[in-house]
Amino acid sequence: MKLKNLRQFSQALFFLLFLWLFLQTESKGANELGYPVKIFLDADPLIWLTTILASRSFYGVFALALTVIVATALLGRVFCGWICPLGTLHHLVGKLKKRTVPKKAAGLHRIKYLLLIFIIVLAILGVQLAGIFDPLSFLIRSLSLAVYPMFSYALRSLFDGVYSSNIPYITGSSEFVYGLLKKTVLPFSQPLFLQGIFVGLIFFLFLALNLREKRFWCKYLCPLGALLGSLSRYAFIKRSVSEDCDGCGACLRNCQGGACFAGGPGGAILDKVKEWENTECLMCLNCDDPCPKNAVSFGFSRKQEPAVLDLGKRRVLGSLLAGIAAAPLLRITPLAKVGAAEPTLIRPPGALAEGMFLKRCVKCGECMKVCVTGGLQPTFLEAGLEGIWSPVLVPRIGYCEYRCTLCGQVCPTGAIRKLNLEEKAATKIGLAMIDKGRCLPFAHNMSCIVCEEVCPTSPKAIWFEEVRLMDRHGKKTLLKQPHVDLSLCVGCGICETKCPVLGRPAITVSNLGESRSKDNQLLL
Amino acid sequence: MNRRDFLKNAVRSGAALTLPLGIEPFLSIAGGADRPDLAVVRGASPARVTSAAVNELGGMRRFVSRGDIVVVKPNIGWDRTPEYAANTNPEVVAEIVRLCYGAGAKQVKVFDHPVSDARRTYKQSGIAVAAAAAGAQVSFIDERKFKDMAIKGQLLKTWPIYTEIIEADKVINIPIAKVHGIATLTLGMKNWMGIMGGSRGRIHQRIDESLVDLARFLKPSLVILDAVRILVDNGPQGGSLSDVRRLDTVIAGTDQVAVDAFGTTLFGMKPDTLGCVRIGHSTGLGNMNISRLRIKRLTI
Repeated sequence: MKLKNLRQFSQALFFLLFLWLFLQTESKGANELGYPVKIFLDADPLIWLTTILASRSFYGVFALALTVIVATALLGRVFCGWICPLGTLHHLVGKLKKRTVPKKAAGLHRIKYLLLIFIIVLAILGVQLAGIFDPLSFLIRSLSLAVYPMFSYALRSLFDGVYSSNIPYITGSSEFVYGLLKKTVLPFSQPLFLQGIFVGLIFFLFLALNLREKRFWCKYLCPLGALLGSLSRYAFIKRSVSEDCDGCGACLRNCQGGACFAGGPGGAILDKVKEWENTECLMCLNCDDPCPKNAVSFGFSRKQEPAVLDLGKRRVLGSLLAGIAAAPLLRITPLAKVGAAEPTLIRPPGALAEGMFLKRCVKCGECMKVCVTGGLQPTFLEAGLEGIWSPVLVPRIGYCEYRCTLCGQVCPTGAIRKLNLEEKAATKIGLAMIDKGRCLPFAHNMSCIVCEEVCPTSPKAIWFEEVRLMDRHGKKTLLKQPHVDLSLCVGCGICETKCPVLGRPAITVSNLGESRSKDNQLLL
Repeated sequence: MNRRDFLKNAVRSGAALTLPLGIEPFLSIAGGADRPDLAVVRGASPARVTSAAVNELGGMRRFVSRGDIVVVKPNIGWDRTPEYAANTNPEVVAEIVRLCYGAGAKQVKVFDHPVSDARRTYKQSGIAVAAAAAGAQVSFIDERKFKDMAIKGQLLKTWPIYTEIIEADKVINIPIAKVHGIATLTLGMKNWMGIMGGSRGRIHQRIDESLVDLARFLKPSLVILDAVRILVDNGPQGGSLSDVRRLDTVIAGTDQVAVDAFGTTLFGMKPDTLGCVRIGHSTGLGNMNISRLRIKRLTI
């Protein structure tokens, strides 16, 4: 078996494993998922490193991340070429491009290193932006918030169409297929996310760059690739080219990393085919087989020092300074002032205090993917630019299920703590308050109190007062008017979700009183 | 014309006919010579209590015929385990499913439109596993199957109703007895909220009239009120074992008003304190005068 086939097998295996775990990131009714759905994020050295730097604390399991680091140091960027699911996806999309050497490759390999420096400088200064650019975070976020909802929407529309047109024989069998799909690949209910469209457009833009150059992202932009590239500088596996090489360039056609012509292609290709930058090599081994002279080989070698990519001192300095400037730029927002925080920023239960939460959250979207009600949504600027795409509960869309602790179970960095049910019941994420101008029993003398019915705490945080009121004809009526016991309310938001006053509900939750904050408190 | 065709036609023509008021009691009297109106059975095993209660009414064959498609509608509304008495007892549900198959049912379907997340309520209530083990087809609500129906009630004129319950040959309602903020108690008629689509919270504005309209429209063949455990405070979802009372009782009947009327006595109330019972009685849906009902009490 050719090594290249082994690599393809590995890619397929890890890609399918990734997708399968992604599909398992969904409740089946129990309070555990049963599968280690976040292992890819656990294995991500960039997330691991930047989270430690930004939060100045160790967290969770790091065996997998260390394994990737050691493997990279020994074998080179095998993670990129053999494992990374986003890399595999780019690889597949790259197949759409004609198999030619680009006339002029962009040769932008240094960008990813400069981005990495920028991210690490920020992390050292306590700002965690790695999640925005990290490939696994980016992939899971894009799949969760955009691609999977699109997939679900498209399939559901198709089957709903056949269902509603009720074609003899065809509808029956399509419903059978639909039933199977619902049990396997379709989500329990259609996921709908704020900003799904933007997250999706960004994702497809980066996929489309493969048509400009194969694996554009991996070669030029990926900060994890840059980190692994730096780690692979002294790896033992090396590519050697024997004297038989006549510089035909056949090896360049399928090079996934652009490792062979990083110095600038064009007329120089022929001179550069023997050169090899191991930090840019994804170990795809594509250059081994097509060589007509059989001159290329990979192996443990100490000869043939690989070429070194020159970042340029000024660029490195620029990147450092940009990181140093970005940290305060991101923080000069009044949102951090006591009492000025965005009141709708209801964080999931178990979320750390906002400062530490932002240092840990990598915006991977796992918590939003797993949220049973779909209430966890990506923020836009509610938490500042620093917190973009971090999770916020939007009760009008979905509430926090009282006995569910899944978001804390899937969070890869501990930004949301894993709670047990007792802790969950004692965790306030906000407080509900009634708008008497809209509430039916208060404003319109009508019976309602759905909020009291659905309130999950015991005793209920929403209680009612029986009052005798007069209607316009002078007739006495007995009404139950709801009140919120602020000491019992946990802010789960089910009252807001289920309030029959649609659109602008008569009871709303804000993050005031959230357990995680010392300052954002109301009660004595 | 069976029930399914009848209701289908009614829906299609937009005119869901209801029997003239006051005829149903005669029909039920004509059905059996000295059968009780209500069977109230008490005992340690929920399953045996349930089957004994059905037996007292004449056995499941009285309600289910060979080849019937039966919908069994428990309350699976809340993300609570059985000991919290927020959902119908899973053993009671499973026993009814078994009895239906025993009477020759072709298929028994179990579903509810819960308030909490359906995956969690089906699982945590224990009903999905228990009913499926008894052979029922347990399914989650499929939003496409809500269709606007002509309820033609006094208050509800049309509402989206789950079509599977309309298309069934027989319907069996299995509520659990609980206290409830706006409805005072949630018993049999209140359980019909679980087959409503749309923004159903709105019916709380006039809950009692709405429930009677629904009950009249849906016409279950049998009502089984689960009082193995009842919830006496913090209803309808509870959350504390101190709010649960163990009565080890199941009440069976065919008169929706009578079952609910009896249900009020479990909480030490009078039947007419419950609005839907009072209205159901006065509009001829059923009889709330417990003293005039033949009630068979049994302890096993």
